[in-house]
Amino acid sequence: MSASGGLLRSFWLRLPKSVRRRIVFLVAGDAVLLGFIWWKAAQSRASFADEVGRMAPNVAPSILAALGQTGIICCGAMDLSVGSILGVAGTVFGVLHARGVGPGGCFAACFVTAFGLSAYNGWLIRLLRIPAIIVTLAGLAFYRGLALILAEVASHGFGQQFTLTGDAYHRPGELYAGWILLAALVLALWGECFAKTPRMWLALGNSEAACRLSGLEPARILFGAFLVGGIFLGLSAVLDVTNHITIEPARLGAGFELSVIAANVLGGTSIFGGQGSAAGTALGGLFLYLLGPAMLYAGVDEYWRTAVQGAAILAVIGIDCALGRRRKLMEELR
Amino acid sequence: MPDPLIQLSGLAKSFAGVAALRDVDLTVQVGEILGLVGENGAGKSTLIKLLSGVESPDAGTIRLGGRVVALTSPREALAAGIAAVQQELDCFPHLAVAENLMLGERWPRRPWGGVDWPALHAEAGRRLTQFGVAIETHRMVEELTAAEKQEVMIAGAVARRARLLILDEPTASLSEPEVRRLFSHLRRLREQGVAILYVSHRLDEIFELTDRIAVLRDGALIGVHRTGEIDAVRLVHEMVGRPLEQVYPHARGGHLGPPLLELEGISHRGLFHDVSLAVRAGEIVGLAGLVGAGRSELARAIYGLYGVERGMMRVDGKNWRPARSRDALRAGVVYIPEERKRQGFVLDHPLEAGISIGFSDQLTRWGMIRGRREWARVREAIERYAIRATALSQPVATLSGGNQQKALLARWLEREPRVVILDEPTRGVDVAAKAQIHGLIDQLAARGKAILFISSDLGEIVGMSDRILVMNRGTVETELRGPEMTSHNVILAASGLYSREAARGTEPGPELRPS
Repeated sequence: MSASGGLLRSFWLRLPKSVRRRIVFLVAGDAVLLGFIWWKAAQSRASFADEVGRMAPNVAPSILAALGQTGIICCGAMDLSVGSILGVAGTVFGVLHARGVGPGGCFAACFVTAFGLSAYNGWLIRLLRIPAIIVTLAGLAFYRGLALILAEVASHGFGQQFTLTGDAYHRPGELYAGWILLAALVLALWGECFAKTPRMWLALGNSEAACRLSGLEPARILFGAFLVGGIFLGLSAVLDVTNHITIEPARLGAGFELSVIAANVLGGTSIFGGQGSAAGTALGGLFLYLLGPAMLYAGVDEYWRTAVQGAAILAVIGIDCALGRRRKLMEELR
Repeated sequence: MPDPLIQLSGLAKSFAGVAALRDVDLTVQVGEILGLVGENGAGKSTLIKLLSGVESPDAGTIRLGGRVVALTSPREALAAGIAAVQQELDCFPHLAVAENLMLGERWPRRPWGGVDWPALHAEAGRRLTQFGVAIETHRMVEELTAAEKQEVMIAGAVARRARLLILDEPTASLSEPEVRRLFSHLRRLREQGVAILYVSHRLDEIFELTDRIAVLRDGALIGVHRTGEIDAVRLVHEMVGRPLEQVYPHARGGHLGPPLLELEGISHRGLFHDVSLAVRAGEIVGLAGLVGAGRSELARAIYGLYGVERGMMRVDGKNWRPARSRDALRAGVVYIPEERKRQGFVLDHPLEAGISIGFSDQLTRWGMIRGRREWARVREAIERYAIRATALSQPVATLSGGNQQKALLARWLEREPRVVILDEPTRGVDVAAKAQIHGLIDQLAARGKAILFISSDLGEIVGMSDRILVMNRGTVETELRGPEMTSHNVILAASGLYSREAARGTEPGPELRPS
């Protein structure tokens, strides 16, 4: 078997048909949006390369977090608290910055906080044997409160926000966001192709009972997914804080979990677990993001953008499913 | 006799105070196929759960090769060499064949840490070949047929050095040639010294395949026989066993009205084929058969939940082609499903709402439910159907199983339907409620409804029905009338073993239906 044949087999042919179809669909969708932006940029004599370069820091946090979430959703679980975790991590970053800690320390603490809370989620689920969606729903509120308490306790005279001064706290995002995203995506795809753990996640999402009968430990597998998800969430948090001049513990990352889950759903990950792909998630996250600048260029009224975004999600999934159903019907009729 | 591979002594298990298995002593020899038979609820699946480590016994010991083992998880059971292959649900549809086969084990790795896929697939392929099947290991399991899935799972169990293989109803979704293949696999495994516990309702298969047969009834082991030394009639007698003196109501007179439900050669690929039957007004027709024979599927097709590909259906003499379940309600066809918890009720809702939802369209004016009228109708229904509840607002979930079932009946029967299809109406219901439900069904027939009555409870179906149709492998094969209607004959017919000539020779069973 040739090397490329092996890769094709271990990556592409392994995916369920519906996920493969969704990936093709999203590649086309992303290409259309990028083409549109390129065309509009050319018209207005803006540089397309600049436009794309600007995207990276903006799109990286949500795609990174979405990649981490893919593993969790594949297990048939979900982490609803990612937005609040982002809030806590950002607050830690802001507090340390206010206390004069250098950029390296701030970034490290931010990463560790996000990773730690994600791991804590996984541990709690394993300990309490409560569905992940419930534990993390509680986390959604709890961690937001934690961010506020942290800000209040750790910094004297805390207003509503931390202002981040100093280039060193913003540069990493601008310079490396694209590369970090790329590296993380390669890592995720590599894992999907060559590691055993992601297959365990899929197996768990397929059937928990069957996992148990095969002598596997479902709780441990899910915990693993939260640990890996934590790494991606940590990277996401680090890149997200570099985007902000000010950090508001009450608002940082609010609603983030929805775009993270939307990227997954759009990318063909089954919300009930058992199928999904990092490639689909990345493409889905990109699509969601590209809608923003595309609408900006198309001159869509600001008030309409969120609604259009929602409609676009429904349209992509609706058309894809309708096509899938028709194809399935044809197969059955044959 | 050599030392047994597995020796169970005094094994017992109860769930919520109800004994599911009591004091079972059983041995399985190396290289033997032991058949395990019994009616629904006899304790077969509990025994399987104990052996495969899903549940732990309350009392008794399991000896494996002479040593006492504690099987507290499926993992330990697997490690001890006991593998249960249950339904096809227990595999991973979105993983490749090789991944399914090797899931609980170490996978071959490359020096840099990645999974060595070619090696993994080669190993999986080797296992399949060794077992004697050729299935492409890269295929997704969801693309496989039921038989292929099963072969993969058995091959996996064998490759893990299973010494005892437990098969639960393995042929439920297999075609005849596939059954032959499975049997040849199993016989070969027996020669290799694997012990097999073969659980099935299909007595023909049990007689063909097994070396010995163990009979469970009401949680107790009734007997173990060499297969050659017992015949079907005696085996069935042991399975049914009970001195069935329960009296079934029979209020209705012999008068039958015109046929209200008629089916002519209806088919749905993969579910049932060429089914013809008629149910007349005032008649209770029992529909018997094994799980998977297509009874519920047929019922749902009549109700309009599955399309019918060929054949004709008539309700009340008029052509019947339901597109939605609403059509069925309008035409007076009611289907009361088997799994009341999943398909029947919103368990947290109050009883009142649970009942009135069945006829809420008759209660509304301009889209608003008239509370007083609802209250009155529900009160009436609760009395008529003898539902025991503390208040109308009591959540359905807190009612006993029998009262839930009666409430479900009340919901639909208040509509005064003409054709009533009952799917296992007394499953999981206590004896007293059972008798009341029987009474209700009898009254319904007396009021001129046509009733199609699906049940796996042999005593009940024999006692309640005017005629019994027995389904086997997707079609109605046998019709039993009058003195032919005995539990024995129903079991034999459900396995395709019934023949009228043979039946004529034997004396009627002890439980002739009361007339």
